Amino acid sequence: MHLTGYVGLLFSLLAFLFLACWAGFSAWSKKENVLIFIERGQMVAAGGVLFSSFVLLVGLTTRDYSFQYVYENVDNALSFVYTLTALWGGREGSLLFWELIIAISGMIFVVTPGYKSLSTETKLFFWMFFLTIQGFFLLLLTGWSNPFIEIIPAPRDGRGLNPLLRNPGMIFHPPLLFLGFALYSIPAAAALASSIAGEEKSWITITRNWNILSWVFLTGGIVLGGWWSYMELGWGGYWAWDPVENASLIPWFAGTAVLHTSIIEARRNALQRTNVFLMSLTFLLCIFSTYLTRSGVIDSLHSFGKSPVAQPLFWSMILMLVITLMVTFLSKRTVHRTLSDFLSRQGMLVIAAWFLLALGLVVSMGTLWPVISQIWTNKPLGLDANFYNRVCLPFMSFLVLIFCYCPWLGWKGGVRNMKGLLIVTGVLVVSFVGLYLSGMTNVLAALTAAASVAAIVGIVLLFVFYPAMRSMRQSWGAYGIHLGLVLMALGIAFSGPYKVEEEFVLAKGESAMVDTYRITFTDLVQDGNVGDIKVRATATLEVHEGDKLIGIMVPDKRIYQNFERQQFAEVSTVPGLGDEIYSTLLGLTDDNKASFKVSVNPLINWIWIGGTLMCVVAFLLLRRMPKPGEDR
Amino acid sequence: MAKSSSKFVYIVALTLFLGGLGYLIFSGLSEDSVYFMNVSEALAEDRGQVGQARLFGKVSPQNLEIVDGKLGASFDLIDKLEHDKSLRVQYKGALPDTFKEDVEVIVEGTFTPDGEVFVARTLVTKCPSKYEEQSKQMEQNKG
Repeated sequence: MHLTGYVGLLFSLLAFLFLACWAGFSAWSKKENVLIFIERGQMVAAGGVLFSSFVLLVGLTTRDYSFQYVYENVDNALSFVYTLTALWGGREGSLLFWELIIAISGMIFVVTPGYKSLSTETKLFFWMFFLTIQGFFLLLLTGWSNPFIEIIPAPRDGRGLNPLLRNPGMIFHPPLLFLGFALYSIPAAAALASSIAGEEKSWITITRNWNILSWVFLTGGIVLGGWWSYMELGWGGYWAWDPVENASLIPWFAGTAVLHTSIIEARRNALQRTNVFLMSLTFLLCIFSTYLTRSGVIDSLHSFGKSPVAQPLFWSMILMLVITLMVTFLSKRTVHRTLSDFLSRQGMLVIAAWFLLALGLVVSMGTLWPVISQIWTNKPLGLDANFYNRVCLPFMSFLVLIFCYCPWLGWKGGVRNMKGLLIVTGVLVVSFVGLYLSGMTNVLAALTAAASVAAIVGIVLLFVFYPAMRSMRQSWGAYGIHLGLVLMALGIAFSGPYKVEEEFVLAKGESAMVDTYRITFTDLVQDGNVGDIKVRATATLEVHEGDKLIGIMVPDKRIYQNFERQQFAEVSTVPGLGDEIYSTLLGLTDDNKASFKVSVNPLINWIWIGGTLMCVVAFLLLRRMPKPGEDR
Repeated sequence: MAKSSSKFVYIVALTLFLGGLGYLIFSGLSEDSVYFMNVSEALAEDRGQVGQARLFGKVSPQNLEIVDGKLGASFDLIDKLEHDKSLRVQYKGALPDTFKEDVEVIVEGTFTPDGEVFVARTLVTKCPSKYEEQSKQMEQNKG
């Protein structure tokens, strides 16, 4: 089985590399009659990846511990769902999952009308890039990160999965990120290929759906990661600006920027080179993200450990950067168009892209600062969360402000609806003053919150003033995403600076105040042998506001089988669209006292609501691709 | 062809944008930088003079003090590679679930003026990842 799985990967590696070389050679020498063989060949080679993935899945589901990978990620007590998710749960498996998605994407893309409408030369260059990417991943999988290593004799039980990772958020968070990363390979390869071949058809239009889907999955992965951190780790926060968190955010900024600049190319044929560069950069940053998490170059809160794939990943990034720059600057532009007025919708899209790229640059620089600072000092300097908040939050606030005004400007310049513009400005000013006077004295938070309110009003007004928008799926999609974004901004503006947190020790019957809420410790139950939980202590906390009981929280502390030296806390909340009360049971004492961490998080759930909205409504933007010979 | 005034506005806007970005980055770098050090590196420094620092190390099984019913802990932080080198750490906040002897932690704070004790403002244990190498101790626990 091990050898069979490995041979499947080896076959695919050799086939992809051969086909990539063949495609490249044929494109340069203008031999166009080979395309059909390359297309069929990639289907067969992708089949090898599918087969090997199936072999590993069988190994996992049968708990065949002779696979080192199965032994390291599964144990006899692990539930079936988490056993399945171990396919992408480990280091080698996650890389295989990346490659599996790329391979399946290629199989789908080849039959789409968009692909079929491309010129043969562009198709050949596309395969040269796309198959080389796959070859690179298979090189890692057959060399430095082999998931088919055999253990002899096979152990009777595996090491299992850390209980903190047994959470629904962690089932979906990693694969969503990998889906996002992997799907970006299609638009990136298409952008480079179109640029070299001087393709007449717009790669922006042809790969539009791929670009949107990549963004949706990446966004979903990041939001779910934040939710898992908030609900499972018990620290009460959702984002710590840790290198591993930043790693997924950096390509998101680039991917979001290219979504905006590509609108300008689709409508005006401007920014062609910029878009090729940004699209390729986005995929490159996905590799960079993997490099940051696997190389150990930065010490992170996350124990990802050093991996031997670091060096090949590093050199692949350098190579990809060189290719990107060469293609961007050496290829010919088919049309020369310049931008419209600065104060136009087009201008605002460019400004938004600047802000997004600047955010990506700041987060990259901050993350790599311990490495960069070693150029002039032997004492590496790092940057704490204050740095990111100081630099990023004003930029994010400006982004929301830009969105308030952008829809009211004309596409090429001027104001298209003065009434709407004035109402939004009025709402912005009144909201800001109102929030400030009501105690929101953090100016940046108040401005962000006011801009969010103005943006929400603006979106509603747009659909009122322009009835045609109500029947346009694209409008619901585009403005739905931005509504999600401003809801998230609203949640961040309140829950960040205005969170109230207390830690205290209580005996049964005692109370403590957190903000305006009275928390009373009423009961403690200890039980055990529930599923894979060996021992569990569950506290009951009553939450009163004034004399009114508004909810009961039951945070617990547990010890799992196979993890007996470690305690795990499950948080409990009184959820709310305004304040959410959040509690963690920190520990127990011999005299039956208990220590708790309780926080009041205002509007925090709007972050999850907004994030979900952004991902879900983005599907409305997907549209049928043009058939060959059909232009849009 | 775009109007030259439009191009000028873009250039001015970009200059202002880069100026703002530069100012924010510069002020952030000068005020929010912290030294990232392993225990052995911290021991080689004049610790009383080091301002904010983030230390990486492991919790020593010896001299670990956690008082029941109270928050916080005092412990020796040992170097990840050179286990004979250690620093005393005091922390008064809530301990993470995964805090225990031999676990890798990251503490952020300042040294006392004599440099003998590191007073941690934050303490985090390394978050488990699906990609981490499993500890040998867990192996031993399971026999």
